[in-house]
Parts: sequence; C-alpha cells; structure tokens
Amino acid sequence: MSKENHSYKVHFLPHDREIVVQEGTTVLEAAHEANVYISSICGGMATCGKCKVVVEEGHVESPPTILLSPEELTNNYILACQARVTSNLLISIPPETRIEGGQILLSSEETLGVTAGKIHGLLPGVEYKHDPLVKKIFLELEPPTLDDNLPDYERLKRAIMLKEGISMEALEAGLEILKGLPACLRQNREDRWRITATVAQHGLMQEIIHIELGDTTQAGWGLAVDVGTTTIVTELLNLATGKALDIEATYNSQMKWGEDYIQRIMYAQERNALEDLQKSVIKDINGLLSILLARNHLKSEDIKAITCSGNTAMIHFLLVLDPTLIRKEPYIATANFIPTLKANELGIKIYRHSPLYCLPSVAAYVGGDITGGAMAIGLDQEEVLCLFIDIGTNGEVVLGNKEWMVCCSASAGPSFEGSGVRHGMRASSGAIERLDIAEDLSLSYKIIGNGQPRGICGSGLLDTIAALLRSGAINKSGKLLKGNSPRIRETEEGLEFLIVEAAQSTTGSDMVITQADIQNLIRSKAAIYSAVATLLEAMHLKPSDIQKVYLAGGFGSYLDIRNVITIGMLPEIPTDRIHFVGNSSLAGARLSLLSQEAFARVKDIASKMTYFDLMSNPRYMDEFISANFLPHTNPDEFPSVYQELAAKHPAFR
Amino acid sequence: MQIPNVAEKWSGEVIVVTIGATKEEGGTRQKVVKVGGASCIPFMDFEGNPGHKPAIAMDVLDTPPEDLPPALLEPFKDVISNPALWAKKCVEEHGADLICVKLDGIHPDKGNKSAEEAVKVVRSILQAVGVPLIIWGCDDPQRDNEVMPKISQATKGERCLLAAATQDNYKNIAANCMADGHNLVTLAPVDVNIQKQVNILVSDIGFPLDRIVMFQTTGALGYGIEYAYSIQERERLAALSGDKFLAMPVLCNVGYESWRSKEAKAPDEEAPGWGRAAERGPLWETITAATLIQSGVDILRMYHPKAVAAIKKHIDALYANGN
Repeated sequence: MSKENHSYKVHFLPHDREIVVQEGTTVLEAAHEANVYISSICGGMATCGKCKVVVEEGHVESPPTILLSPEELTNNYILACQARVTSNLLISIPPETRIEGGQILLSSEETLGVTAGKIHGLLPGVEYKHDPLVKKIFLELEPPTLDDNLPDYERLKRAIMLKEGISMEALEAGLEILKGLPACLRQNREDRWRITATVAQHGLMQEIIHIELGDTTQAGWGLAVDVGTTTIVTELLNLATGKALDIEATYNSQMKWGEDYIQRIMYAQERNALEDLQKSVIKDINGLLSILLARNHLKSEDIKAITCSGNTAMIHFLLVLDPTLIRKEPYIATANFIPTLKANELGIKIYRHSPLYCLPSVAAYVGGDITGGAMAIGLDQEEVLCLFIDIGTNGEVVLGNKEWMVCCSASAGPSFEGSGVRHGMRASSGAIERLDIAEDLSLSYKIIGNGQPRGICGSGLLDTIAALLRSGAINKSGKLLKGNSPRIRETEEGLEFLIVEAAQSTTGSDMVITQADIQNLIRSKAAIYSAVATLLEAMHLKPSDIQKVYLAGGFGSYLDIRNVITIGMLPEIPTDRIHFVGNSSLAGARLSLLSQEAFARVKDIASKMTYFDLMSNPRYMDEFISANFLPHTNPDEFPSVYQELAAKHPAFR
Repeated sequence: MQIPNVAEKWSGEVIVVTIGATKEEGGTRQKVVKVGGASCIPFMDFEGNPGHKPAIAMDVLDTPPEDLPPALLEPFKDVISNPALWAKKCVEEHGADLICVKLDGIHPDKGNKSAEEAVKVVRSILQAVGVPLIIWGCDDPQRDNEVMPKISQATKGERCLLAAATQDNYKNIAANCMADGHNLVTLAPVDVNIQKQVNILVSDIGFPLDRIVMFQTTGALGYGIEYAYSIQERERLAALSGDKFLAMPVLCNVGYESWRSKEAKAPDEEAPGWGRAAERGPLWETITAATLIQSGVDILRMYHPKAVAAIKKHIDALYANGN
C-alpha cells in the first residue's frame, strides 16, 4: 500500500466533531472539512499565530515555530495550519482560537421592523417605504370557466396586477414556474385557488420566482450580507415584518491571500486564482447561512432573496469578475451597477431562483458599502454639511449634503477590526469594548456579554490608545515608555503593555497590547485622518464647517467619540456633532432588501457621488505622515486635546 | 510710475543657537558660533534679517579613514592619524568655524573603540583648537547610547553640538545634553513631518527649543540633492510662517555625501574625460554646498580645504549686501 492511502480520524473538542482525513492533511484543513471554525488570519502562512490548538491524543508532524511560547509547547500546543496529521488525533480548541458566533447583538432599529408601512434607517427620520425587492403575494384566483378562459399563466399575472398594480407586461417567469403552475393551482380543492406567488424585482421587470399553495406571506426570508475585506456579516430578515431575526459574522477567509484587497487582486492575477478567492467568500457566506438557518429552524429554500454590499473589489471577487483593472490606471471596474443575478449561479445555497442584488459602486475604490451606508443615514437628504466615515480595512470618507457629495478611500488596514493586533478580535461576546486607565494607573474595562475577556475589539483598542496616551504610558509617537507604568514590560519582541493577567482571561495567558499593535493602530487612524484632511482641503473647507459627522464601522454597539478625537483619528469637531451609527454597510443591504425605494435611492446616490482620488494626490502622503503622531504633528489643530491632557501629562503643557 | 513693494512679511524667524562657551561662560573656547536668526528667505534680505552667516564645520575623524580618495587625503596626509593636529590644521590653515568630530571608531564594524578612547580624542581636540565642537556618534544606536553620555559628561560646560537624536532613539542623548548644557542635533531622514515629531518628542522631555539643530540627511549633487533641498526649503518656510517646532537652524552633511559620489572620488585614470580629480572632487563638494545654502542652511559639514575656501568666499559675497 502506498503511503498516501493512510487516513486518520481527527476528533475536535469541544465541538465533538470527527472527520477522516488523509495523512499529511493539516489540522486546519481537517477542521475546515469538519466545519469547525478555527481563528486564522494569515490563512496558513504561519505568520499570524492565531490558529493555536492543543493535541490531547495522538501525534502530528509540526515544523518549529517562534509563534508558540516554550510554555505552550510543553502543553502540546501546535499551529493548526502547520501541523500535519500523522495519526488519529484528539484536538481541543482553546477559547481564544474558537470563532464563536451568534453573539453580536441586534440593535433596536434592526429588530423594530415595519411601523406604519415604513422601515427605519440608522437615524431618526430616515425612513423608507416597506416594499421588499422580493415579496410574497397571497392571491385568490377564480378558476377558469368557459366565459373566463384565460390560461393559467395569464390568470396568475392578472391576479398579481389586480392585487399589486404591477402591469402584466412587466411580469416574467421562468420555464420551471410555467411547468409547475397548472398542478400547483389545481391542488386547491376549494372553489377558489389560493396560492402565494413570490415576485422579485429584476431591473424594470418583476419576475415570478416561486409559487406555492396557500397563504405563506409571513414565511418569507431574506439575507443581507456585508461583504467586508476583513469581516463578513450576514443578517437574516423576515421580508414581511421587516424584522431582523439573527446575525452572524466571520473573518473573511480571503485574508490568507492578503490583508487588503490590492494584495488579493495581485494574488488572483499572478496565480490565476480568481476562482479560489470567489469560492472562499462563497464558502464563508454559506457557512454563516447554515448557522443562521439551523439556529432559526429554517431551510435553505426559505431564503428568497439576498442583498450584498461591499467594496468594488469584494463584489468583483464575489461575482468572479476580473478585478485586475481596478488597480491599474485609470482604475476601471467591470461594472458599478451590477445587474440582478441568481444567487444560485454563484454557489450560494439558497432557493435556486432567488435573486442576488449588489449595492452599486461609485468607483473602483468606493463601493456599495458606502453608497448603502449613505442611504442608511440619509446623507443625500441632509441640508447641512456632513461627513460620513466608514472605518474598515479601507476607510472611506464622504463629504457633502443633499446638494453634492464627494468621496475618497484610504487604506486603513484591518487593525480596528481586531486583525493584525495580537489580542484583537471582532466585536462579539468576550471582547473588551471599552477601557480606561485611572490616575492611579489602575485599569478598568467592560466586556461584551458576560464572563471573562477573550480579546479586545475595535472600540476597546481605540480606548486603549487614548488611555495609554493620557496616562503617559506612550509618548506622542506611540512608543511605550518603560518605567512610566508597572504594566509595561520587555519581551523578546519588544515592549508590551499588560491589559489582563492570565488568571482573569479565558485564554489562560496574559492579554497585552504590543508596540507593533500600537503602531498598526496609529497607522490606521492616520489613514482615516489624512483622508478627511485631504478631502476637506480639496473642497476648501475647514473641520469647523462640518455640522454633522457620522462614524460607521463594525465596532459593536459602543464607541467613545471623545477618544476618536484624542487619538487624532478625526479633526477637532465638537463631540455633539459626531454620531456613531454602527455597521452602515449592513444597514444599507438590509434597507435595500426591505425597500425598493431604498434600493432606488442607493442607485441615485451612486450616480451622484463624485470620486476623489487620493493616490494621485501628493498632499495625501504628507498628511498621512503628519497624522502618524498622537494626536497630530501640528498641535495647533488639536487645542482641546492639549488642554485636556495638559492637566494629566507634562508633555502636553 | 511707482513700483509696488512686493516684499513678503514673515511672522516667524529661525531660532538662534549658540555653539561653544568661552571661559566667562564656563567653557574653554576662544570664540562662540551663533547660527540661525533669519527672518526672511535666504538672501532676500530686503524682506527681513538674513540672520547669521552659515557656519562651516570641517570634519575630523577619530580613527584614520581607510579608503579616502587621494584628492581628499592629500591636504591632510600628514595629520590623518592625529585628530588633534588634523583639527588644528582645519582651523588655523583653512579657517573652519567649527570642528565636527566624527566618532566612526566606536562603531562595532569600524574598531568598536571604547568610550574612554573617544573621550580622549575629543579632549585632545578641545585642547588643540579654540573653536566650538560638533561631536557626532557612529549612528549605531546601541554604541551611541553607551558612548555619547560619556562624551557629554566629559565636555560639560563647553556647549558642544551633539548628534544625533532620532525618533526611535532620542531620550538618552537628549537627557545627557540637557544635563550637561549641550546643544542637540535632531535627525529625521528626508521627512519634514518626522523632523517636527522628533523635535516635539525632545521638547516633551523638557529640552529647550533654542538648543536644537535639525538635520534631514543630505543628498549630494546628482544623488538626491533635490530631496534635501525641497525639505530644507519647506522647513525654512514653516519656520518663517511661525511653526516653532520647525524653527531651528539646519545642518547639512556636505563633505561626506559629496565625496561618496563617483564623480568626486573617481581617480584620473578611471575617468580621464571628467577633468582632474584634484579639481573635480572639491568642485563637486562646492557646488553641493552652494546649492543647498540657497534652501536655508546654517551649518555645513565639509571636507576639502579648496571647497571650504570657495564656499567661504561665496558666503561672504552673498552677505555683502550689495557692496
């Protein structure tokens, strides 16, 4: 027997799932096959060290690594992406390595549903008519007689026209619907044919995608998806009530091919691997979908529509469109306005005729996540000058009001999404979401949900930088100052700041923020600041001209606005003008799904927004370097931060 | 017709930094050198005070350099192994305003000499000459952190100019300079924002702004001079516009950078068409210096006596104010 034919059982705890794999398979691959999710950011490049698991029984072949401490090695920790199966295995996955879901809380507007025929945006007063892109229509048809001998299909269309006012010419259906129609109608044993037709918007047409017996109008569900560069979030919605039922998120598995999408585009091009990237994102979406379905006792056929918002490159990956032209001058996307597609064609496992709608892009670097976000906050209806910032792997900035809108995009990196930071994590249960250091250097924090901390999410990281600066633990360059705090200590990799001791964390090891983490976070905030500064300068405006600032991002439910300014991510604007709106990209997808009016508005916004290219702007790099400082290289631009910090810290006097 | 006065009015000026201390001031120097003070763009003296003339510091190495081009070795060949005599020659024969002692020998790859040896060299130069000193480390952060504090203590009271503090390594040298009354060079390679950040960091630990000289690293003619030029020009405009964190005098490393270029050091037999090496090298250094002066420079570190003579003449002419 040849060696390749050896196969072994790998059993994963605490999931209690088992899979049989070939010898030489990595533990990470085995876990994926077993549908056990293991945290992995570099995706098997052995650089992130997030995929630590413990070998309880059996043995693996594992190359030496510096990512595991001597203590971890003696406790049989391995890197799942590097260890190859060479025997039957019992693997336990420690808490910090588990990707646990279902712990993002739904906000009040998400669960509010329809009131007075309207669905609600992210701000009071932003409302759209409840009129889903895909809707279920209950029909009562008169069976044909010799006097009324209209065929079944025309009879169905006539009933829809009478009930919904959709003209018969605008209605279409596929062969499968036609074939099944007579039998479906005649299952009715009563005097009238009672059926429910599912009708989906398809450009200017409406397509009948499904018919079934009886009134099932309340049993129609859709999925809103935020396809982020670092994080993918899916939300399950009831189309009839407009209520969000559940939400689930994961890191985008494409991260193994690069942290930002430019790297991924290069990878796709060089390795001819566009399809691999597409399969990866579809697998993520299907994985999230299966969790949502199981938790809510639904079947995949029940999902009748899906809307996706994401940046232009992510949508290209999703649809297997060639993304290479996006990164080459003159930066042209295949399409800004994506036609209505079938989710099934892309491999998304929902009802086979369900449509997939993508929110439209403005340009190669400003996508549907921004147009959707702008719609969700009603930016295009604002009288006063507004600034809308979506803090993600790309920081997109929109400046404008109902008269005009300009936008730009800056590469901020994934650090505020918890990636590229040693103990960073998404805003889900167990994440430290706020943190403060008191005068006596004692540290306090608040965790999402109950229990002990597993990591630190974006808002907690932002608070951490501000608190370190305020307490004098870091200087204005962000360098940790040994001796200024008993929590600062030296390791082989440099200085780090202790946040939670091993005994208090679920991970069983100290939770720290490292010098490299701090530098990553400062670079991210500098990218956002410099995008805002460059855009303002291009429009000959000052920060004080801005009347409202809307900050979006996957920070969870909380963001300390004052700290956003203290660290210099935003220029000094009175804090009462700044509002945190949460994940606006997902809100854009949700509102579009539930309202044709909202979807039309997104398209309108996409066609009105003017794109401003930062890459060709020499000011941007200069602004970026001067923003790589806390709060900023020009103290005059942050007088109130200096005033506030002067009381605590001599360097600000 | 009356011609309108188009002179710019500037709100700021370059800080004056004093290098060296006389006996009365607690040092042993025969004279001090003041740099800075400009309140106008270089040589636009109808707009403001042009400030002090750029000072010329001639480099002296603590350890005999191995690969000096012959044209550069020639004027110093009798003193090359004796830093004190080398410095004396620079001052007495070539008119150096300052001596810049470059402590190459302490670098781990260039001899790894002890702090005591370095102190001895500096002391011998202090005795040999009456001009103020610039004392420059070896640019190896670890060695500089070991040696420069000893240098600082040994020269306490002399108000030297010590180099260099960088964004990643400023505390040690800045604290010592502060304690021993020296001036400090802050270094940020070709980036005005980082230069300002280093200045803020140094001032955050209490270092006075009027004891800082900025250094952006220098590009020689044909080797990035335009980068150095435009950064220095931006710094000068920022200073004149009132940015107190960029208002310090500027230093350029002209000699070392010029003589690294192949145009300066290629011997006659290698480049017969380029003119005689004995003239070509000094010319390369002269033109580099003359160009950079135009961007706003207060201290020029230079090598060759011929280039020094030419630049001194050039500066005098520029400051003659039409006479």
